[in-house]
Amino acid sequence: MPLLLLVVAALLAAAPLVLPVFVLTLLTEALILGLFAMSLDLMVGYTRLISFGHAAAYGLGAYGAGYILLHSATPLPLAILAASLFAGVVAVGVAWVCTMATGVSFSMLTLAFAQLLFAIAFKWTSVTGASDGLAGIPRRAGPFGLTVFETKVGYYELALFCLGVAYVFCRALVNAPFGAVLRGIRENEAKMLSLGYNTRLYKIAVVAISFALGGLAGALYSPFAGFANTDLVYWLFSGQVLIMVIVGGQGTLLGPILGAAFFMLVQQVLSKWTESWALFFGLIFIGFVMFAPEGIWGLLSRWRVRA
Amino acid sequence: MALLELHGLTKRYGGLLAVNDVSFNVESGEVRAVIGPNGAGKTSLFHLITGVVPPTAGEVRFEGRSLSGLSPYRICQTGLSRTFQLTSLFPEMTARENCRTAAQARLAGRWRPWGGRSVFAEASRRGDAALERLGLTEMASRPAGLLSHGDQRLLEVAMALSQQPRVLLLDEPTQGLSVEETATAVETLAGLLADGSLTVLLVEHDMEVVFRLAKRITVLHRGAVIADDTPEAVKANQSVQDAYLGGYH
Repeated sequence: MPLLLLVVAALLAAAPLVLPVFVLTLLTEALILGLFAMSLDLMVGYTRLISFGHAAAYGLGAYGAGYILLHSATPLPLAILAASLFAGVVAVGVAWVCTMATGVSFSMLTLAFAQLLFAIAFKWTSVTGASDGLAGIPRRAGPFGLTVFETKVGYYELALFCLGVAYVFCRALVNAPFGAVLRGIRENEAKMLSLGYNTRLYKIAVVAISFALGGLAGALYSPFAGFANTDLVYWLFSGQVLIMVIVGGQGTLLGPILGAAFFMLVQQVLSKWTESWALFFGLIFIGFVMFAPEGIWGLLSRWRVRA
Repeated sequence: MALLELHGLTKRYGGLLAVNDVSFNVESGEVRAVIGPNGAGKTSLFHLITGVVPPTAGEVRFEGRSLSGLSPYRICQTGLSRTFQLTSLFPEMTARENCRTAAQARLAGRWRPWGGRSVFAEASRRGDAALERLGLTEMASRPAGLLSHGDQRLLEVAMALSQQPRVLLLDEPTQGLSVEETATAVETLAGLLADGSLTVLLVEHDMEVVFRLAKRITVLHRGAVIADDTPEAVKANQSVQDAYLGGYH
């Protein structure tokens, strides 16, 4: 399995040699969305913390990186890193409030918080540009005079690198004692409390990590697209990433990455045919929930076992 | 000094006095049962000891230290491990993983975000030892949710035992078991308690279970202690007969 992963990673890294630029652009976006979906999987798949407001993480990263790049001379990689940390730090406060509740109430609080951020992004003209958003976000060169990220290929490799590092980090996390605690919380939080685990602290930690990685995805997106707008914090996007996680296969890390790629593919293909492509994607989603609740990853592993 | 001390523990819910001025000690190595008819306040008493609900008055002391104001997870960390009246475990994990997760809670590296092979190894060692003491070794690799109800009850005891607690609190360990399952479970528990190394506080309403396992019995009636004695003396006690055992025979 790790060998197969390395081969896939090597193929992806070599892809710019053969793929045309417009495909590479789509692939870059798919990698960024994959990172975003994987970050949510830590909460949804591993801890059963269903967030209806994960766009908040993406938005914090996207606006954060955009603001830094527009208002300072910070090189691109550092701006992305700083925005990711910013999202993680804000998440500690968010999680502190949201984890006062559990179950559906927790989900509603995450939604409320994301909508609050949406309102701020919409109103705070001097910082967020209100309904215009932030435009003309540069991919500033450096550090050490590095200009490679200014190119489409360089940016693709940067996104791939971030996804790879984030994946290795997440895999180590869920396999460590910390991950075992998350699984316990997922299955029976009351029991974890009575066993002596301060479950709320673990939940706050996992939300912060999830937001930092989701923020990393957002921070990669805004310099890539050149803009950040309120769509990136909107509840619709929170719902879409949740669908990517479920369709891809929650609790598998790799599944949600595939889910994000699948989402983009379907969107690309269907939107050529019809404007109401979301309707058809909704049907696909319902189909997965009813007939393959373990998602694309589950289908693939079932097929592997049979083969 | 007693290991666990209850001093005038009282819990009032509006007009209902669920637990009324209960005081008793649990000595190290003692197996004590708290009995009483349904609604006598047994489970409320457990909730007070484990910090699930705060007492209206009185306090619990463990190894001489007051547990007042500590949250349930902190109380567990001091060395009190409990089981629940309604089976509570991790159904999708194997029996071994259930015990490993329980044991991990007592290890310094329980939160480590990477690596942790030594943490898992030590937790598994403690967990496997507990499984063996409860005769569950053969079930170790089965998902807990697929075990028989009797084995699930014992698995919950094994999880508590994996934590190497100073005091083990068992809330009706044979609850919901058939007569045959109860007999098996009681023999297993009796074997576990035989060497006197464990300190146990047991809540139970099945008298046969209580008389087989406990060396001391506290009888609750409407939240208050009406007897605190050896099993033989409790059996002979007239007020206990009237309040409880009378209805039992």
